[in-house]
Amino acid sequence: MFLALKEMRRAKVRFGLLIAAIGLLVFLILFQQSLQNGLLTSFVGGIRNQSAPVLVYSVDGQRFIQGSVIRPDLEQLVRSSDRVDAVGRIGQGTFTASGTEGTTDLSLFGYETEGLGSPREILNGRMPLGPGEGVISDVDTATGFAIGSTVTLLPGGTQILIVGSARDVQINAGPTLFVYYSTYLSAVAERNPDAGAPLPNVLAVQPAAGVTDAEAATAINALSTDLDALTRSAAADLTPGVAEVRQSFQIIFGLYAIVVPCVTGLFFLIVTFQKSRALTLLRALGATPRRLVSSLLLQATVIIAAGYLIGTALYTPISQQQLGGIALRFETRAVIGWALTLMVLGLGSALIAARRVLAIDPADATTSGAGL
Amino acid sequence: MKLALRELWRRPSRFVTATVILSLIATLLMFLGSLLDGLINASTGAIRALPGDVIVYSSTSQASFARSRIEPAQRSAILEVSGVEQTGGIGLAQLGARIPGNDVRDLAGVAVFGVEIAPRGVDALPAYGEAYADEILQADGVEVGMEILLGPARSPITIIGFVADTNFSGQAGLWTTAETWRAVLSANRPDAQVAEGVFQSLLVRITPGTDPVAVAQAIDNATGGATLSLSISDAIDAIPGVTEQQATFNQIIGVTVVIAVVVIALFFALLTVERTGLYGVLAALGARARTLFAGVILQALIVTFIACAVSATLLVIADLAVPPGSIPLDVTPTRLIFSTLLLLIAAVLGCAFSLRRILRIDPASAIGSAS
Repeated sequence: MFLALKEMRRAKVRFGLLIAAIGLLVFLILFQQSLQNGLLTSFVGGIRNQSAPVLVYSVDGQRFIQGSVIRPDLEQLVRSSDRVDAVGRIGQGTFTASGTEGTTDLSLFGYETEGLGSPREILNGRMPLGPGEGVISDVDTATGFAIGSTVTLLPGGTQILIVGSARDVQINAGPTLFVYYSTYLSAVAERNPDAGAPLPNVLAVQPAAGVTDAEAATAINALSTDLDALTRSAAADLTPGVAEVRQSFQIIFGLYAIVVPCVTGLFFLIVTFQKSRALTLLRALGATPRRLVSSLLLQATVIIAAGYLIGTALYTPISQQQLGGIALRFETRAVIGWALTLMVLGLGSALIAARRVLAIDPADATTSGAGL
Repeated sequence: MKLALRELWRRPSRFVTATVILSLIATLLMFLGSLLDGLINASTGAIRALPGDVIVYSSTSQASFARSRIEPAQRSAILEVSGVEQTGGIGLAQLGARIPGNDVRDLAGVAVFGVEIAPRGVDALPAYGEAYADEILQADGVEVGMEILLGPARSPITIIGFVADTNFSGQAGLWTTAETWRAVLSANRPDAQVAEGVFQSLLVRITPGTDPVAVAQAIDNATGGATLSLSISDAIDAIPGVTEQQATFNQIIGVTVVIAVVVIALFFALLTVERTGLYGVLAALGARARTLFAGVILQALIVTFIACAVSATLLVIADLAVPPGSIPLDVTPTRLIFSTLLLLIAAVLGCAFSLRRILRIDPASAIGSAS
């Protein structure tokens, strides 16, 4: 064992390079894990963290809030259901907003009743008390949408005072402002002078007492083939694009999961080849195969652990940053999960080199050939 | 060189591991590239199909059709701009389409374009209530002569023909007249309806030989800054998500190439270590380091090329197997050749890591140690 550590101390560059390579790979994995979660939160955080347990789309919307339109007859059907306690209208649209840092896209999320589409929790400030006030997604308070500032929607000039911020409530990967439904209606009317009365995009539903969210959704869907009711989490997960983003990142993570053991395994194979003479001599001097393999695995463990620590150290400050409008977070579960995965895969790949060590014949030390 | 080829020929099993890993990486690289091409084409086809040079949006629209609004007076001002030859109104409505025979909840996403100038691939604009559909809708069962129903208002549209590569934001393009679009929009999205003569944006055809960027600037000056005029290529880049998708995928492709370099480097470093003794003998017999290194590079290039050929074949098979309208995979020879070139460069770079080891080989070491 001491020989294993001593070898690492003496060949600092060689082992250091491998540790650095693993550290870099770990950093990339963890950074992209945060990027994935941040991206998904910026897409659908507003759906996941609004207060309505069930959202009812029209089938035409294809589970995209802005594309959904609830006709009056459908709204009446939902309201008449005995599985439903309360129903509120939700309207959502993308507007051009002029803030303190120029013009930008802004998603306006209009809810009719607090508790039915409003943010679930306020991080700073307060909920809107009436028309003309709004709660902004927290990551955007630093980019021209601070509490106390006024947002002007273009064209039309609708003004909204930001009175609070809520955590992880972005939609469409951009600034999102939660306002009363009447504020949303005014914004639509002022933007387009030809506009007719907008229909709600989605209905926010509170199930009746004793009815689960899933039961309420099923009951609503049974009312009409034009209705598409989803629980809050299903609505977020089934938003178009979410599954595709997840799939893309899964491919990337799978690739990394292959590369780390490949790099580790090939490195130890090379090292084992290089020191084949020394290993043969050690065997001839009485070192047991178990001892040599243990040394190899110890080196692999130390290298992967050190690489992981370096990768995590690089990742920690980055995970506190904001990437455009996407807030990154330190993903504790991912850090632990990947540590275990990479350790198992890395040690598994080192076993290929261990197999070669086990194949050493001490008798080779008496001849010139000590190759493996 | 001959020795390197002979080793590949006589000991192919030695190179199987590298070929398999590289095939996997090449498949990923080509798949990601083809997916990117498919996604971009599915988002931008409609803009590329517009037979003009400049698209005019309102200045507060952030180049979004839905948020843009061009008044008749602005259009008149634009027509007066030097270099402007013709203008055509454009309107868009993104809706779900009900197709006869499909499940009542199985709708196809369509981008209904109301235009005054027919898109590429269409000789003349259809009559009221008719439309040309993007051929991708054939995968949903749409046929010529079929009537499909658009949006919650079930606005009927008769399909009179198909066009290729005209999708927008991942939705199938549906090309109709301005009048039909206006009616569909009013019936289904009353909050977005516009008055007669008002369009969401304008397509501008410019006088041949004129610079589109200069004309775009002149248009914006003529409207007093009320418009945002973009050349077709700039309008494509302005579609939400296009630039971001390209940046993200190119980053992933770049990382994949770096990984290929690492895998090739490690594999050939391993082979070089294995063959140190043999190289010592060859060096003692007069082989130059340059010759030995060239042999390693040749082997890496052949292994990489075989891996790329396997992957390209798999991708072509996948492209044929994937039904249209499912995964937006666009496998093109350009993408396959580009990916192969990238990996061949990666192979040479990866081999460079073995160069130092080959240069350090001492012919004297062959005496007694490489028997």
